[in-house]
Amino acid sequence: MKNKLSRFAVPYVVWMAIFVVAPIVIMVIYAFQDAAGGFTLGNFVKMGGYGEVFVRSFKLAIIATIICLLVGYPVSYWMSREKASFQRVAMVLIMLPMWMNFLLRTYSWMTILENNGLLNQFFQKIGLISLYNNLTGSDLAYFPMMNTQGAVVLGMVYNYLPFMILPIYSVIVKLDYSLLEAARDLGANSVTVFRKVILPLSLPGVLSGITMVFVPSVSTFAISQMLGGGTEMLLGDLIERQFLGGAYNPQLGAAISLVMMIIVVVCMLVMNRFGEGEEQAVML
Amino acid sequence: MKRQQPNGFFNRFLMALVALFLYAPIFILIIFSFNAGTSSSVWKGFSLHWYGQLFHNQIIMRSVYITLLVSLLATVIATIAGTFAAIGFYAMRRRRRDALMAVNNIPMMNADIVTGVSLALLFVVFFNGWSSFAGWVNSWQSAVVLPEKLSMGFGTLLIAHVMFNIPYVILSVGPKLRQMDRNLVDAAQDLGCTWMQAFWKVIIPEIKPGIVSGALTAFTMSIDDFIISYFTAGSSTSTLAMTIYGMTKKRVSPEINAISTLLFVTVLLLLAIVNIREASMERQGERRRTAAAVPGFTRTSDGKMPVWMRVVAGAVGCGLLAVLIISGRSANARPVVNVCSWGEYIDEELITEFEETTGIHVNYQTAESNEALYSLIAMGGADFDVIVPSDYMIARLIEEDRLAELDYDNIPNFQLIGEQFTHLSYDPENKYTVPYTWGSLGIIYNETMVDEPITSWDAMFDPKYAGQVLMINNSRDALAAALLDLGYDINTTDEAQLTEAFQLLKDAKDNGVYQAFVMDQVFQKMEGGNAAIAMYYAGDYLTMLENNEDLRYVVPEEGSNWFVDAMCVLKTSQHKREAEAWINFIASTESNLANMDYIWYASPNAEALEQYPDYYLELYEEELDEELYNIMALPDEERERCTLYINLPPETLALYNDLWNRLGV
Repeated sequence: MKNKLSRFAVPYVVWMAIFVVAPIVIMVIYAFQDAAGGFTLGNFVKMGGYGEVFVRSFKLAIIATIICLLVGYPVSYWMSREKASFQRVAMVLIMLPMWMNFLLRTYSWMTILENNGLLNQFFQKIGLISLYNNLTGSDLAYFPMMNTQGAVVLGMVYNYLPFMILPIYSVIVKLDYSLLEAARDLGANSVTVFRKVILPLSLPGVLSGITMVFVPSVSTFAISQMLGGGTEMLLGDLIERQFLGGAYNPQLGAAISLVMMIIVVVCMLVMNRFGEGEEQAVML
Repeated sequence: MKRQQPNGFFNRFLMALVALFLYAPIFILIIFSFNAGTSSSVWKGFSLHWYGQLFHNQIIMRSVYITLLVSLLATVIATIAGTFAAIGFYAMRRRRRDALMAVNNIPMMNADIVTGVSLALLFVVFFNGWSSFAGWVNSWQSAVVLPEKLSMGFGTLLIAHVMFNIPYVILSVGPKLRQMDRNLVDAAQDLGCTWMQAFWKVIIPEIKPGIVSGALTAFTMSIDDFIISYFTAGSSTSTLAMTIYGMTKKRVSPEINAISTLLFVTVLLLLAIVNIREASMERQGERRRTAAAVPGFTRTSDGKMPVWMRVVAGAVGCGLLAVLIISGRSANARPVVNVCSWGEYIDEELITEFEETTGIHVNYQTAESNEALYSLIAMGGADFDVIVPSDYMIARLIEEDRLAELDYDNIPNFQLIGEQFTHLSYDPENKYTVPYTWGSLGIIYNETMVDEPITSWDAMFDPKYAGQVLMINNSRDALAAALLDLGYDINTTDEAQLTEAFQLLKDAKDNGVYQAFVMDQVFQKMEGGNAAIAMYYAGDYLTMLENNEDLRYVVPEEGSNWFVDAMCVLKTSQHKREAEAWINFIASTESNLANMDYIWYASPNAEALEQYPDYYLELYEEELDEELYNIMALPDEERERCTLYINLPPETLALYNDLWNRLGV
C-alpha cells in the first residue's frame, strides 16, 4: 500500500525538477555567461562596483526588521494577554491589510508623504513648519519625507509588520501558563519570567518573523521605486533593471540574483543554527 | 496564554497606535475614492464619479478578471497536485522524503524576485529552444505547422502561480497525514475496500481540513503576488497588481482608490462572515461540551454551516462567477492588434473609433522608456505587433533584425507624412517606419519656484536647486543633458567624455540635487508643485500647462535633442495585416489632428501640422497661442539647434548601461 501511494509523488517530482530546480540551474549558467554565451567571470567582477547597493539593501532591510521586531513583539505579547474575543478581532485587523494588495497600500503612503502631501499640509495647518523655521532659522516650505531612505524603511515596516506579529503571536499564545506560574512560584519577578521563560520560548516565532520580514525587504523593488523615487537603489531595483528595466543585461542580473540568494540563505542558516543553539541551551 | 492580568491603559494605547498606523493609509485611500477632483491629496467634494469610471476602465476590469482567473485556476490545480504529492511524500522513506521536502521548500524560502527571474529565464530558454525546434520541424515537413514564436502570457503566469502555490498546500496537508492513524487504511482494506475506495473514503476525509486550509493559503498567495507575476506574465497579460504598479509609474487616477475600496470592503465582509461563523461554532461547541459532557462525542456533530451562511457563501460564489463572466466578455476571439506605446500618448477615442470601423480589437499597452521597451522585447516577454520607439532605438532594432519591413501599399496615408520626417538617419530607405510624432527635449520649470528664468542645462546639476529637480529616468536622455551641459556631442562614443558626463550626474545626485528619477510620474509631481525643475518632452509640457499655469518650457541655449517616434512592426508579429491597418489609421490627417489636440505632440503629417491652428480655432473658438504652437512644433531654425540621437555601437551601449547602473549606487 505505502509503496503504491508513493507513486503519487512522481508527477510532482518531475514538476519540481522542471520548474524549481531547472530555473535555478539556468540562472547559475546565465550568471557565468557573457552576452555572446561564452564563459566569463566578468559579471561577478562588475558586481564589485555595486557593493554600495548590497550594503544599502542589507542596511535598510536590517533596520526595517529591527523596527518590526521592536514594534511587533510587544504588540503580540500584549495581544496574547487580552480576552479571546479581543484577540480574534485583533487578528482579523492585522490580517486584513495583507489581503489588500501591498502596492495599493504603498501608493497611499505616496500621497501622504509627498512634499505637498497630506502630512505636510497637516503640518502647515497646525503651524509646525513655521515653528520649525523659527526655531532653526531655516526656510522650509515642507519637510522632505518622500524619496528618502526613511520613506523606504517606512514602506517596508508598514508592509511586513504583520509578518512579524503573526508568527510571534501564534507562539506566545500557545505558551503553557503553568510554566509561568512555576517560575513565579520559584521566586522570579515578572522581568525575570519574561527574560528567562517567555522570551526563550517565543524564539522560534521571532526567528520565523525575522525571516518573513527580512527576505522580502532585502529584495523589494516596488517599495523603493515608489517611496524612494529611484534615488535609493536597492538590490531588487538593480535586478529588475537588468531584466525588464532600463539597462538590459540578464547575465549580470542572474549573477546578482545568485549572489543575493546565497547571502540570504547563508544568513538564514546561521541564524537558525544560532536559534537552535539557544533552544537547546534553554532545554538544558 | 490565559489568566494573565489585563493590559494597562498605556499598552492598549500603543496597540491602538499600531492599528492606526496600519489603517490610516487605507482609510485615506477610501476617503479619496469619493473625491470629486482628480488629486489624491486635495479634497474637492463628494462624488461617486470614479466608481462609474472604474467599470468603464477596460484595463482595470480585465486585470481583475485575469487576477481572479489565474488565482482560482492555480488554486485548484495546486490543491489537487499538492494533495497527491503530499500523499506520495508521506508514503516515502524518511531520508528520500526529507531531501524532496528540502527542494519543495525552495520557492518558499527564496526571495520572490529570484523565483520570478529564474522562471523567466527558464521560459526564455525554452522558447528559444522551441523556436529552433519548430523551425526545423517545419522545414522538412508541411503536414503539421508548428508555431515558431511563443511568448510569455497567461500560460506562463499560471505555471508560475501553480509552482509557488503547491509548496503551501503540501505544507498544510503533510501534518494532517502524519496525524492520521496508519492502520486506518489497512483496516479499510481488511473490511473489503478496494485500494481506490480506501483512498477516497478514508484518506481524503481524514486530511480534508489540511486541504481546505492549503487551498485558502494558495489563493491568498496568488491574489497578493506581484513580483513573480511581474516577471512571468509577459506584456499582454496583466494582473491587478501589475496594472496598479504600471499606473503608479504614470499619472495615478482615483480609479485606483475606487478599486481599493471595493477590494477592502469585499475582504472585510468575507472575513467578518468567516469569523462570526467560527465564533458561533465555538460557542455552540462550548455549550455542547458543558451540556452533553460526553468526551469524544462532540467531534462528530460540529462543522455544519447554518443555512443562512450557506446562502451567503453561495451568493458570494455566484457574484465571483458573474464578475468573471462579465469581465471576461471582452476576451473573445476577434482579430487583434497588440500596440505598445508610451503613457498619455494617444487620444483614447481613436482606439474606440478604430475598433468600431474595422472590428479589430486593440490591445493597447504602454512601456516606460525606450530602454525598458527594448528589455521587454529582448527578454521575449513581449508579443507586441506595433511599437512606437524613438529614432535611436529604431536604429538599434533594425540593426538587430527585430523589425519587419512594411508593405506601404497597405499604408496609403504614408504619403501624407512631411518629407522632413521620412528617410531619416535611423531608417534611411524608409522600409520599416511610419512617423508618429516628433518634438524636442527640454527643461520644464515652475516659475514661482525658481529665482530667474532657466536657460541652460546647468539648472539640472545646480546644487542651488537641491531636492527640487526631477531627473529623467532613462540613460540616453539623462546622459545627453550632462553631455550638452559639458559642450559635447550627444552622440559621442568617447569614453572619457561619457565618464565625465556621468561624473557630473553622479556629483549632482550625491549633492542631493535630484528629488527623484522619474518618467511619467513627472506629470503629477510638476502639476502638483512638488518639484521645481524637470527635464521632459515638449508635448508633455503642454499637457502639464493645462493643469498648472506656472510652468514654463525652454530648449536650453546649449542645444538639445529632437526626436521622432515612429510606428514599426516587430518581426515576430502574428498580426501584420491588422498592424498595418492600425498604422494607416493613425497616420491619417484626422487621427493626427485629434492626437495632436489631445497629447500636444507635433504631428509629422504635413496637412495636420498646417491645419492644426484652424482646427483649434474651430474646436475651442479661440486662437491658438502661437508661442504654444512653436513649442509643440519647433520652427525649423530652432530645430537646427537640436540633434537627433543615432544608435550607438554595442561597446558604448554597454558603457551606458554600466554608467546608468552605477548612477543608482
